[in-house]
Amino acid sequence: MAENYRPKIGVYVCHCGINIGSVVDVPAVVEYASKLPGVAVSREYTYMCSDPGQNLIKEDIEKEELNRVIVASCSPRMHEPTFRKTLKEAGINPYFLEMANIREQCSWVHEDRDEATEKAKKLIEASVAKALLLEALEEKEVDVIPSCLIIGAGIAGIQAALDIAEAGFKVYLVEKTPSVGGHMAQLDKTFPTLDCSACILTPKMVDVANHPNIELMTYSQLEEISGYVGNFKAKIRKKARYVNFDTCTGCGVCAENCRLAGRIPSEFDEFIGMRGAIYLPFPQAVPAKYTIDPQRCLQLTKGKCGKEGPACVEACGPGCIDFEQEDEIVEIECGTVIVATGYDVFDCRRKPEYGWEENANVMTGLEFERLVSASGPTGGKPILGRDKKGEGGYEPKKVAFIHCVGSRDKSVGNEYCSRVCCMYLAKQAHLIRDKLPEAEITVFYMDVRAFGKGFEEFYDRVRREGIRYVRGNPSEIYRKGDDHTMVIKVEDTLTGTPLEYEADLVVLGVGLEPRSDIREIIDLFKLSQSTDGFFLEAHPKLRPVDTASDGVFLAGCCQGPKDIPDTVAQAKGAASSALILMAYGKVKVEAQVSVVNPDECRGCGFCVEVCPFGAIELVDENRMGNIVKVALVNEALCKGCGSCAAACLSGAIQPRSFKDEQILPQIAVLGVKP
Amino acid sequence: MVDEKKLQDKAKETLIRDDVRRLIGWKRSTYGYEAAPAVLTDASQADQLIFDPTCVQNLASFISLEEKKPVARGAEPDTRKIAVMVKGCDSRAIVQQLVEKAYSRDDVVVLGIPCMGVIDRRKAEKLFGETAGQVSAKVDKEKVAVDIEGDVKTVDRKDILMDKCLRCRYPNPLVSDFLLGEEVEKWADDDFADVDDFEKMSPEEKWKHWDEQFSKCIRCYSCKSVCPMCYCVECVVTQLKPQWTRRSTDISENTAYHIQRAWHLAGRCIECMECQRVCPVDIPIMTLNRKMTRDVKEMFDYEPGVDPEGEPMLASYNPQDPEDYIM
Amino acid sequence: MTEEYEPNIVAFLCNWCSYAGADLAGTSRTHYLPNVKIIRVMCSGRVNPLFIVNALQQGADGVLISGCHPGDCHYLEGNFFARRRFMLMRKLLEHVGVDPGRVNMSWVSASEGAKFKDVVDDVVAKAKEAGPMDQFRRRQINW
Repeated sequence: MAENYRPKIGVYVCHCGINIGSVVDVPAVVEYASKLPGVAVSREYTYMCSDPGQNLIKEDIEKEELNRVIVASCSPRMHEPTFRKTLKEAGINPYFLEMANIREQCSWVHEDRDEATEKAKKLIEASVAKALLLEALEEKEVDVIPSCLIIGAGIAGIQAALDIAEAGFKVYLVEKTPSVGGHMAQLDKTFPTLDCSACILTPKMVDVANHPNIELMTYSQLEEISGYVGNFKAKIRKKARYVNFDTCTGCGVCAENCRLAGRIPSEFDEFIGMRGAIYLPFPQAVPAKYTIDPQRCLQLTKGKCGKEGPACVEACGPGCIDFEQEDEIVEIECGTVIVATGYDVFDCRRKPEYGWEENANVMTGLEFERLVSASGPTGGKPILGRDKKGEGGYEPKKVAFIHCVGSRDKSVGNEYCSRVCCMYLAKQAHLIRDKLPEAEITVFYMDVRAFGKGFEEFYDRVRREGIRYVRGNPSEIYRKGDDHTMVIKVEDTLTGTPLEYEADLVVLGVGLEPRSDIREIIDLFKLSQSTDGFFLEAHPKLRPVDTASDGVFLAGCCQGPKDIPDTVAQAKGAASSALILMAYGKVKVEAQVSVVNPDECRGCGFCVEVCPFGAIELVDENRMGNIVKVALVNEALCKGCGSCAAACLSGAIQPRSFKDEQILPQIAVLGVKP
Repeated sequence: MVDEKKLQDKAKETLIRDDVRRLIGWKRSTYGYEAAPAVLTDASQADQLIFDPTCVQNLASFISLEEKKPVARGAEPDTRKIAVMVKGCDSRAIVQQLVEKAYSRDDVVVLGIPCMGVIDRRKAEKLFGETAGQVSAKVDKEKVAVDIEGDVKTVDRKDILMDKCLRCRYPNPLVSDFLLGEEVEKWADDDFADVDDFEKMSPEEKWKHWDEQFSKCIRCYSCKSVCPMCYCVECVVTQLKPQWTRRSTDISENTAYHIQRAWHLAGRCIECMECQRVCPVDIPIMTLNRKMTRDVKEMFDYEPGVDPEGEPMLASYNPQDPEDYIM
Repeated sequence: MTEEYEPNIVAFLCNWCSYAGADLAGTSRTHYLPNVKIIRVMCSGRVNPLFIVNALQQGADGVLISGCHPGDCHYLEGNFFARRRFMLMRKLLEHVGVDPGRVNMSWVSASEGAKFKDVVDDVVAKAKEAGPMDQFRRRQINW
């Protein structure tokens, strides 16, 4: 191949109609270029990108045995792929192309013909200087394993799993808690349509459990992931349930007999309801398999449960309970990953002035959902202050809802809007109006953002239901006297009047926050966070489900607060992105990647620290009998940014096509004055 | 003060160990104000080791040099540890080398020595003239007693100690396996007044200064050879592909070399001042390093060579880093 | 007094934001001074600060490094590293007596064609004020 010989460069100067030719003296530039070192052919043409223009290059490559091509025309961001293809078709390596941008960055921005012509000459000369040192690069493709790992089985994970499974690809759906469903399962109704949340979610939950292409792993956590797009290897820890998964029928006799039944606050019920040490998180849980809480179970914590031994063992007909069960590590391979880890609600202890921790009748929006849910601890009746046996209590007469608790609040570090609180509070106000027609209901808000489909109409309807909206952000909420009356100190900012409003139920419109353990996922996948702490997408507008790690996609609230339809839409987007890779079955890897000269590498690892993609690792190298550490680039992960090269002190790591030795000649040309 | 007997005993004990290949310390030089490095392989040699204010050389430089030695074909590489004696300032070189994974902590035995300052040869020569005699010295909280062939002269610390000692913030080793002698009290601090003073000059005055200084440079590369942080297999300044700097010793290449050198030590220089000490033409090289040290501390709140678990300065960032001049 | 001269500026532009921004200046026919010559790199994080020293040595009167705005880097973090490096390199050159107006950095996004023109004008004005860079220009050797 001609590539291996001395550089023979062809320079092609484009007129671009009159776009270049009217300002730059093209013949003079062609003449100048023809005398540059290594240049064998120098030509001009009206439109280099046209078929005849490209054919001109192809013919010269053949006849003149050119092995480097310079096209002086528009921006490489426009036609670099076009001319790369031309080179490829003519049988030389497409990376032997260099473009000089004499349109966008010369003829279009300068008026003076002489100045523009001089600059065009210089730009071409710099391209020639670089072209002399270009190297042939290989474009590689790697196979994509046709399976997808989905982390988190809330509505986002469930939807993505179903879409991918329906398309015929294998899905591993990993969920940390004992049941799928996520936060959506906890909700009573959904805004603005007032659909019953469980009614629309449970069929999907059952589907993921039954789908032949989905391997559901509940009560499991991702421990380790390695590899790159198309070829990930993951280790998943299936935590011990201490209940035989295969034989458990979900009858629930064990839970009824548990000595701690009804004595442990239930996570699913936001700790306002109770469960036992062996439990099903909620009646519709999928899979309907019981789990023993190892932190609470007397047998597991104390080694002893009552005088007669564990009552659950006694009660269980099929004999499923196994206190000797251990965690199991499952290793899987997958081609794509979808992260759908969801959110945490704002921890109200960080706003002590609202008195959430001390007062049972100050509750978060999510606690309120459980309170009014038919499957909740009070069977959907809004009764507060019941005793341990679930008796007594009162119905609130004055209910207050507070907007923006932990959102749009710099003092707690959350500057962003959580997007769902305005509407869920409106929905909750409506629900309480439904259940308590006589109650006085007041909503304290900063702004009402009713931006979605049907939102404004719903907000309007709620206001007409005799619900008062007061514009003001409470400064303090405290208990008055010994009964359950709470005082809300607030300024009505529309009238400028300070108010002391009394209520016997206060609902805090808590915002959405990144998972408290988001770090673990970040460290596993090398993902980035945006300033709000949620996962950072690859591009805020055009790549909202992609991440900087190829083959890893985001779905749902882990990327930022969103409501259910947006979450489902993003989940479908993520599923589609994963399917694109798996359906084609191959993925191209960047050719302009970094390469290490192991003889010069000092193994300091600066490049490893700098690389945003985790593409570099230190490996052992035998250097004159000594085992030393040197950097090694994983070409499937490298994106060719070159940050490593600027951090490297010895110049041992260099991005192909942008090596020091290729850039320095450009500087030498452009630095020297004309 | 360090008891030399104890120091020698500890050195013997260390050299006897099976897992120690050699020990690097100081011994009395044949003449002049600076002690000589001693590379010992046998416990019987330990009697020659000393520590006093003439022990100015930073021996940490030898550790990374040692790593590069080729192994004969068929032979097994010697992976035994290197024992090295370090002062407070020298120990920072080890910390920084560990940050940069030049070797692992298990590869070295660090014999730390609390130090009250070492002699600046140039200052001593100004005071007492050059000498062909053997020199030893003692230092206390105020004075340094210099013994030139039995002729003892006592001077104020500030008149004879290295500049780095007069602003020493780490008199005690930051990393050591054994501490030889009692820890000493920190007696100075660094306010970077020298950097501030230099900055008062106009760009023209600064360039005039460096034009003169860099013109003297003969590019012997002593400064980079002695530097404990310069241990690349091949330095970029001597590489031919690509050739960053040409080999001619004109003001252009010399300036480029010195900027490169200072740049590569930004956030890495641990201020042992070895570069300036060994310069045969007395270029105040540390002025550039000190500027980097001060700015790195001020802008990025970073100090090299103090935290072995720390991140390298230029391989890390803070989203809130200053950017006052960026358009 | 410095006599009127035309400074020569070498600019390093990241492919995704600033180079695209410069392209946009072209597409919208925003005229700017021809003194700035652009070298395309994939990321501002690629620019080795020693490139600046080399450019000044080769005869450039000023340099410009331009990348995506902080947080917008196509490669996530490259511009953060670049910022640290150039803040520091500028200080070092200043200490040697190089006029700080010769070393410039900017954040220009793909939509900021107009800003790119302003940056160019500004960089050229500063280099004009600093005068020709002859402090350590490389000697051209003719064998």
